[in-house]
Amino acid sequence: MLCRVADSLFWMSRYIERAENTVRLVDVTLQTLLESEHGSEEISFSHWEPILTSLGDLELFESQHPEESSRDVTDFLTFSPKNPSSVFNCIAFARENARMIRDQISSEMWETINRMYLFLKNTNAEKVCSELNFDFFHKIKEFSLLFQGITEATFPHQLGYEFIICGRQIERADKTCRILDSKRHMRTSDYAQNDALDAAQWAALLRGCSAFEAYHRIYASEVTGDHVRNLLMLSRTFPRSVLFCVNRLQLAMHAISKCSITHFSNEAERKMGMLISRLNYANEKDLQDNKADKLIVDIEDALAEIAVELSNRYMFMEIVDPAVELVVED
Amino acid sequence: MQIQYDRGSFFDEAFNADGTPRPHYRHLMDRLNEMSPEEFNQKREAVDLAFLQQGITFTVYGEESSTERVFPFDLMPRIIPKKEWDHLSAGLEQRIQALNLFLNDIYHDQKIVKDKVFPEEILKTGKHFRKEIMGLRVPKDIYIHICGTDLIRDDKGEYLVLEDNGRCPSGVSYMLENRQSMKRAFPRLFPRSGVRSVLDYPDHLLAALKNIAPAGVDSPTVAVLTPGVYNSAYFEHCFLARQMGVEIVEGRDLVVESDDRVYMKTTEGLKRVDVLYRRIDDDFIDPEVFRKDSMLGVPGLVRAYCKGNIGLANALGTGIADDKVTYCFVPDMIKYYLGEDAILPNVETWLPYRKDDMAYVMENMEKLVVKAANEAGGYGMLIGPHATQAEVDEFRVLVKNNPRDFIAQTPISLSRHPTYCDGEFDGRHIDLRPYIICGEKTKIIPGGLTRVALRKGSLVVNSSQGGGSKDTWVTNYDD
Repeated sequence: MLCRVADSLFWMSRYIERAENTVRLVDVTLQTLLESEHGSEEISFSHWEPILTSLGDLELFESQHPEESSRDVTDFLTFSPKNPSSVFNCIAFARENARMIRDQISSEMWETINRMYLFLKNTNAEKVCSELNFDFFHKIKEFSLLFQGITEATFPHQLGYEFIICGRQIERADKTCRILDSKRHMRTSDYAQNDALDAAQWAALLRGCSAFEAYHRIYASEVTGDHVRNLLMLSRTFPRSVLFCVNRLQLAMHAISKCSITHFSNEAERKMGMLISRLNYANEKDLQDNKADKLIVDIEDALAEIAVELSNRYMFMEIVDPAVELVVED
Repeated sequence: MQIQYDRGSFFDEAFNADGTPRPHYRHLMDRLNEMSPEEFNQKREAVDLAFLQQGITFTVYGEESSTERVFPFDLMPRIIPKKEWDHLSAGLEQRIQALNLFLNDIYHDQKIVKDKVFPEEILKTGKHFRKEIMGLRVPKDIYIHICGTDLIRDDKGEYLVLEDNGRCPSGVSYMLENRQSMKRAFPRLFPRSGVRSVLDYPDHLLAALKNIAPAGVDSPTVAVLTPGVYNSAYFEHCFLARQMGVEIVEGRDLVVESDDRVYMKTTEGLKRVDVLYRRIDDDFIDPEVFRKDSMLGVPGLVRAYCKGNIGLANALGTGIADDKVTYCFVPDMIKYYLGEDAILPNVETWLPYRKDDMAYVMENMEKLVVKAANEAGGYGMLIGPHATQAEVDEFRVLVKNNPRDFIAQTPISLSRHPTYCDGEFDGRHIDLRPYIICGEKTKIIPGGLTRVALRKGSLVVNSSQGGGSKDTWVTNYDD
């Protein structure tokens, strides 16, 4: 497979996953806001701040929107052309990557992405942002899941498929970490009895990861931070938990290199193995407050390094901008 | 639906001068008569939506951030009866043979120049004449493997050659997609038998590409070389690669190693490539030899080509045959190499670099079409009868200062075809681009791309300037 094709498959898949996760975050935060007792813009924005912080986008947002309204955040995360990871940009980048390799993917895959792009392009952003159109968010989520299903069912499960898995799983693991991390930045109440607020925040995180039902099936108790962390980081069966994601990622990486999973054949695989060991052998103490925060940040860093090493090993290309040499054909 | 409109003084493809349908259109007209406008519109919208969703688009430059557009598709097919097609196809075959003999000659002995049939100064001043490949034997002596010749019909219905596109003719993907869409939308419009298929084009193309693999390579690796996703024809490059089942590569995917062979960079290391269907012009193909600033090309590709390690289609240096001044000499080439008269005539043309012609062109510019010798896509052109005085004056100066770079032609009143515009059928001007493949044998694909100028009265059919297309039916009967 061409290095460039591997690169495009990886990013096509990763951008779609990123768009879906951003939509999840926006959706959940808007729903939480509806339940909050205080309605002022200032308080609303305080719900968004942790999310922007954990996504690493707070500075960019503040530079573009000094007045800090909830409506602006929705627009910034969903439609803004000036935010490189807005849902619209993610889908546009995914489509651009898909367009480069449309001979390689199935026509169903291409048409799904293209339809999603046209849908977003024709959506009235103003309307979605001011009227809280949850159908819209639902549709994007469905598009992403549809794309995954179509890929599964129409694309040969060979090398290219594994690159698609890599892109998706890295992004998913990373976003689960960031969603968990946002809790650290959330407001804590000054009162001694802050359990209710705390529980509501944890429940929102669970919903953001589609984990609310799974949580209750496993724990059959009220929502507590320790359990949520346990589920979202260490579950071997819940598909959005970090450990589940990186296990699947490791399988894909070794399918690409054809190296046994007990060994490693490149730096990406070595770092992957170390990360998995750390999660595999983590115990309750490792998941408590400060240590958990540290672990989350470490995982995010490790995932970033693995992505770089994957690119070095399989996709390394000089970046050129072909747009500077436009040629008109006869 | 009834089709009736003012046919004016134009040659109409579907109607006789007395207003009755031509025999080969009768069946189609009957079917359309049975169809309600609602049904027709429904199908039309379904086809448009399908094109958009499949992303069958091209890029228009010069507008804000290069817009992607759907190539407008008109649902009423153009029909060419058997005897007309036999005539066209004999003419096209003759022409491509002469062009390939010409290219082989001018890159070797230049007999045609020595015999004073083709002027030496045209070669010397040809922008696309590549002295770098003088004396190089190209595989099977074929230079133009894929050709898209533009044909038009005048007010008497005679077919004329407008230009030969022997570099990277585009549009063939629309020919194929148009046919697919027609079959899906209007299965009942097709006569039970008799429309010749065009869908095996990719097979013929692949065979022609394998035909020029380096000696000793049994199962060659073929790839399509594209300038990339920002090129206006990227959809087509992908489409052809997919249809042939070969890789599509960009310049940055390829590398020429110290063994002067071409490799592509894969996740499993370097893999040898034997034949490239390149959709990049000579100018950009190898920065070591041609334009130094090109990032689209592959450094060393010409070196590999000259060593016989890579087949290129089309060959390097075919641009000289696309030069509109060279075009004027094609009938002479046919006579010179084949001893035959040209079956398909050229449009009457003047060459300002000749003194007498220059005088005529200067005097009659308002009545002529003036074209730059080396521009494509309908750019660099003056249509005298439709131009303002200022535009005419501007071209007068241009031609006077660069006589070699221009040609002038009699304006042809292009034939018209019923076309669905603004809710009704009306006559619109059309042309025809058939596709010719030179492999072991010469294959003329029965059909081609009919382009239609959708703006009323317009003669410009180029997609970048308001053109659309039609499915083109070559029938194996005459009426």
